[in-house]
Amino acid sequence: MKKKVGIIACSGEKLLGGTLSRAAARIVVKKLKPHDTIVLCQPLFAAGGLERHGGQQERDFAKEHPTITIEGCEELCSKIAVERYSGPVAATIRVDEIMKAHPELKPKSREDLGKDGLKLAEIIAEEIAKKVDELHKQR
Amino acid sequence: MSKKKGYIIPCSGIGKVFGSIGRETAYIVVNELAKDKADLECLPLIVKGKKEVIEALKENKIISIDGCPLKCSYNNIMEKVGRVDAQFMTTDIVKENRDLKPEPYIIPIGENTKELSKKLAEKVAEKINELLENKVEVE
Repeated sequence: MKKKVGIIACSGEKLLGGTLSRAAARIVVKKLKPHDTIVLCQPLFAAGGLERHGGQQERDFAKEHPTITIEGCEELCSKIAVERYSGPVAATIRVDEIMKAHPELKPKSREDLGKDGLKLAEIIAEEIAKKVDELHKQR
Repeated sequence: MSKKKGYIIPCSGIGKVFGSIGRETAYIVVNELAKDKADLECLPLIVKGKKEVIEALKENKIISIDGCPLKCSYNNIMEKVGRVDAQFMTTDIVKENRDLKPEPYIIPIGENTKELSKKLAEKVAEKINELLENKVEVE
């Protein structure tokens, strides 16, 4: 049986990259890989030390399953959190790098991605889905 | 006149619409209702402990908006900064407006979700005014 892959989006509220990471994560778990992936909540994950708040479950999942982090900027908040509390991540997707590779797509804003932003989110989601397939082939 | 700002920190929930209400609320406050008085910061950066961000929060008023009882925003800010000046739950605005059932989809959000966000944004903006005018005690 295939192990589910945990998807952790940075979700940074201040940045366009955060909005894109969130949208891409949703597309993966709802549309592209609904049976193979699960979303882990980044702040809940990081709050695992406060066990009464429930984050320990997220950390335990990431210890036992492969995880892919989606980063909206160079701070790599999700990757750092997973590596600090659960172990190495299986893959990291950098939204800013994918944005640079598609200069023809211009998302409207962090509040409203618009048509181009949604297209970009689809492209990011496809990259994540490819990584999920690669991880399952390796196992 | 106070030069302090009200920092709004919504939770980063991406699984349910209640997280989306928090984010949309924050955007309405910082873009429309309290443009010059409010600002936004990424919760993942706070969780990571980014020094500049933590310092900025310590020097200003902090408002958390959470979408579920785990209260990731409130708990993580308390953990990293040690203080929250006001806290809101998006589930409260949903309970107060039974006629506005939020749509389950979040990309993009629906009309009822937008309306609920506007209503919550008005409360948050009002609270920022109170906090900056020192009308309320720090929690």
